[in-house]
Amino acid sequence: MTRPTGSALTVSRGAGRAGRILVSAVLIVWFALPLLPLVLWSFADAWSYPSPLPTAWGVGGVEAATGFGAWPAFVRSIALGLAVAAIATPLGALAARALTFGAVPFPRTVSALLLAPIALPPFAAVLGVNVLLLRAFVPSVLGVVLVLVVLAIPYTAFVMRTAYGAYDRAYEDEARLLGASRLQVLRRVHLPMIAPALGRAAFLAFLVAWSDYIVTVIIGGGELVTLPLVVAGAAAGLGNDAAVAVMSLAAVVPPFLLLIATLSVGRSGRAGRSTTAGGARPRTPGVVATRTPASATPPKEKVPA
Amino acid sequence: MTSAHPRSVRLAAAASALPLLALVGCAAPAATAPGAYDEWDQVLADAKGQTVQLWMYGGDDQGNAYVDDILAPAVAEYGVTLERVPVTDTRDALNRVFTELQAGRSDGTVDLIWVNGDNFRTGREADAWLCGWTDLLPSMANTDPADPLLESDFGTPVDGCEAPWHKAQFTLVYNADTVAEPPTTMAEVLDWAEANPGRFTYPAPPDFTGSVFVREVLASVSGGADEVPAAFSQAAFDELSPALYDRLTGLAPSLWRGGDTYPANEAELGQLFADGQVDMTMTYGPATLTDLVADGTYPAGTTVLPLEDGTVGNASFLGLPVNSDASAGAMVVANVALSVEQQVAKAKPDVWGQFTVLDIDGLDAADRSLFDALPQSPVVPPFDVLSRNAHGELSAEWVPALDEGWRTNVLSR
Repeated sequence: MTRPTGSALTVSRGAGRAGRILVSAVLIVWFALPLLPLVLWSFADAWSYPSPLPTAWGVGGVEAATGFGAWPAFVRSIALGLAVAAIATPLGALAARALTFGAVPFPRTVSALLLAPIALPPFAAVLGVNVLLLRAFVPSVLGVVLVLVVLAIPYTAFVMRTAYGAYDRAYEDEARLLGASRLQVLRRVHLPMIAPALGRAAFLAFLVAWSDYIVTVIIGGGELVTLPLVVAGAAAGLGNDAAVAVMSLAAVVPPFLLLIATLSVGRSGRAGRSTTAGGARPRTPGVVATRTPASATPPKEKVPA
Repeated sequence: MTSAHPRSVRLAAAASALPLLALVGCAAPAATAPGAYDEWDQVLADAKGQTVQLWMYGGDDQGNAYVDDILAPAVAEYGVTLERVPVTDTRDALNRVFTELQAGRSDGTVDLIWVNGDNFRTGREADAWLCGWTDLLPSMANTDPADPLLESDFGTPVDGCEAPWHKAQFTLVYNADTVAEPPTTMAEVLDWAEANPGRFTYPAPPDFTGSVFVREVLASVSGGADEVPAAFSQAAFDELSPALYDRLTGLAPSLWRGGDTYPANEAELGQLFADGQVDMTMTYGPATLTDLVADGTYPAGTTVLPLEDGTVGNASFLGLPVNSDASAGAMVVANVALSVEQQVAKAKPDVWGQFTVLDIDGLDAADRSLFDALPQSPVVPPFDVLSRNAHGELSAEWVPALDEGWRTNVLSR
């Protein structure tokens, strides 16, 4: 929820305020409600029809989940999610920047191509690409990461495009004029401005890997047993409800923590130290003067509103 | 799905593997030709340091625990590392093998699959199994070479293309607290269902368990299992199936929810039984019953229902894909899994409760006493009781014909 800004004109009060609080409360209940049976099942050693509540409480579910090998799989899932996020986010950002600032011919077609993996039925695509990966002797785990990165890029590129759409390159130009090196512009101007979007994109990429089953099974070839594989295996059996509930609840925790972390990125409102030459290393004026602009295409003139 | 048979692929579902099958033919030959080993010592030497991936259905916590905590340490003594890969369906493992073969990879990641029935047949049609290797295993000496369950797997000749692991028996189960006078034959089971409307149902074919149940009813309405020819012929089907579908159509209104809907699989039926919505369930893996009663999933009155006409039995196996990169290690695992020590440990009701494939009468006195000393499960009778009057599986061609007939005659009545 956004904090109301200080302006007296935008502070909602009275009915509007009550309405907003009500809608928020309804939404929170709407999202939390499906988790309630999971919580109940996690601590239910027995829960028989038609009883509305578990008939025996206990922590047998946690032991059973451990028996299924949930925790090592949990760690592997986190590692896979972080790896995919670490690769797909910068790639998505680069693609989005190039598309937004006109460095790419036929940007619409390229955008459509970038979104294509979402439209493909994953099973068919994965079976086909697996033969290719096997022929090329790509190690299974690397193959899983590669394919999941491809599946995550549409999301990261889309998020970054909206971010770059609202990105004013004049700040970069100004920093360059004031003598900042390209690296300094990246670190001090560019990255701080897109940090919140990068966080959101990385979160989505993490989710793609975190929840994947089919790619991990088929391309991983058993080398990478992640949490979804263990949960699916347990859910296929009878009497594993408590274990499945414990694992599913555990599976909600990392995305939830990441979501909170993502929302707080950029909230901190980096006290952006001025990116003037003061931050730059002293350099010979001549070098600054002869530098060409960063990109071949000059930035479009911003028309004042 | 049960613990006692790897989930069998329905023929229709197996079609997903067909495009792959078509391409497997041009695969490169595997590095380890079946004839590469003629000495068990060679196998032992090569197995040292190998890692074996056993792909198996992962929904049975007792099975998982047995492999992780008992079998894996036992094979570690031979220098073999055993890793278990859980799959929801054995077909996933087969698809992986077919893809590797199609790509011409001889260093496959699937070293062993817990398999039987349709999956085994599909693999044989694709030449995906290493064959003729089980004779090398010293433990095979303790099996009965004439045992029909080990000679053919759902009508497919085994030919040493898979090593036996457990035996299973199709079993009906009832709640003794709610069923005062249990029926004793399949015909009486159906009569009981009609006398107790809403308290009985079966999974809808083509589910594996529902499909077995329909075949058992076919044997019953045909006047016994011997009256149904094991080999499929359209003539036999046309002659025998009308009585089957008449019986099941007549039964439908008495089933749970009036037969308007059926459980999708054994797990759903088991859930209905666990919740007391029906009084009977059925499984091809009675080994799981002990644990399901012990942990309170199933009611305390859960009792196996022995049928005078007998039920169908099968064995399940460990198959070794032809392109495994650890075939020696896989053979060692299969051999250890088949040893007297492991078969006894696995048969303990509190471990896994799987029935042995060994020929107990042929064992020496010391080994036989180990089996005799096995604690009796409070729920599941010994195998010789369960398998009394048992009959063999019909050939695989019967299955799709009966399932399709059920769909058109019974489901859409």
